[in-house]
Amino acid sequence: MSDTVGKGKSDFVKTDANDEILLAQLRQILLRKDREQLAELEDELNDPNKLGAKISPIIEYHLSVLRQKFPAEYKKEVEKLIERRLKESQDELLDVIYPVIGKMIRKYVNLQFQTLKDSIDNRVKGILSPRGIWGRIKALVTGVNESEYVLSGMQGPMIEEVYVIERDSGLLQAHYSRNATIDRDVVAGMLTAIKSFVEDAFNREREDLEMIEYGTYKIYIQSFHLYYISIVISGTLSSSERDKLSAKILDFAEEEIQSRRFMQSQGEDSVQKLSDKLAVYFKTEQEE
Amino acid sequence: MINKKVILTGNFGVGKTSLFNRFFYNRFSDKYLTTIGVKVDKKVIQVENKEISILLWDIAGEVSQDKVPNSYFLGASGIIYVFDLARPLTFNNIVKDIEHLKEMIPDSIVKIVGNKKDLLSESALAETLEELALECDIITSAKTGENVEDLFEKLGMDLLALEQMK
Repeated sequence: MSDTVGKGKSDFVKTDANDEILLAQLRQILLRKDREQLAELEDELNDPNKLGAKISPIIEYHLSVLRQKFPAEYKKEVEKLIERRLKESQDELLDVIYPVIGKMIRKYVNLQFQTLKDSIDNRVKGILSPRGIWGRIKALVTGVNESEYVLSGMQGPMIEEVYVIERDSGLLQAHYSRNATIDRDVVAGMLTAIKSFVEDAFNREREDLEMIEYGTYKIYIQSFHLYYISIVISGTLSSSERDKLSAKILDFAEEEIQSRRFMQSQGEDSVQKLSDKLAVYFKTEQEE
Repeated sequence: MINKKVILTGNFGVGKTSLFNRFFYNRFSDKYLTTIGVKVDKKVIQVENKEISILLWDIAGEVSQDKVPNSYFLGASGIIYVFDLARPLTFNNIVKDIEHLKEMIPDSIVKIVGNKKDLLSESALAETLEELALECDIITSAKTGENVEDLFEKLGMDLLALEQMK
């Protein structure tokens, strides 16, 4: 400060100006590195690729931490949220699951209606037929229970043939027959062709042909993933007998087929064994 | 015994059922009866002292193979694709048809058969074969029975080889 004492105003101005320049130069020197870093940072912030490369590992890390900790920390909350959401949107939920369960319900209702119809038909036929009237008279005269008399007159179902057939190729895997039949391999192939034709013709995905009727014969078909079982039956078959047969087929499939690896190249021994089992299983059914 | 499913396919009127009848019953009829749906029959052939039971599916003819229900081809080990040597319309789509068949059943054996040889002179036959976009495996005549047995014998050998590769 002593240097400036006694000097004129213009000198002060000159000195200030010089100081400013010097200060600016000094700032330039001292802050150059900071400015460069700042420019670099701006560049990184404005360039999505560069920014992404820096941020991605951090996000990845946090996401992985979140993934690890999420089940433990948020499980209960999520469960509560889902529960609440399910309660609030039952109609929407029904819309989503109806196509799946609708088919099952429809099938069940149809079956129940069929059973009811069968029962009504049988009653009407039984009561109004000459045989029914005669049965009632006979029951009255002899004292035998009327229903016992009706039951004794019914012809039970008879299993004529059973086939286990590879679903795609139609190649016969096992067979049981009461009587000698025409070439069973051809029957198996033709049944598969008919089945494929019907299923393709009506273009009903995931629906299978379940029965073919001709005269007093019925062919029941139970389809599985790799094969199907076809049973030829003569005589009448009530709904309950049909259910029983269906359960028997499922038991056979579960116990005798699904336990072994189902392939056509299993060899003749294996095929023969399966045929023997088939005979034992369904002969017993017949004798019952 | 080896059991194999074989499909007989091709355009309508090419003689599939005639080949079928010649192979199974050794008979031929000039009457044309279109096949409805499928006809199935079985024959056991002997190849290299081994018995092969061929379950042959004679499928109703279609203009194009993509019109045949896919389920008919499922599980087939062999395909006999038949065309009429005297009708170019029946082999115009041969490349597309064979590609479609191989795509559908990649591991099966495909035999391309030119039938009705009896309708063509030697020179016409040579000309037709030259025009053909794909090489024909065998030329047959269901009417005279020429090469019909050979066709199934060759197919049987290939099926046996395929079985042995498994």
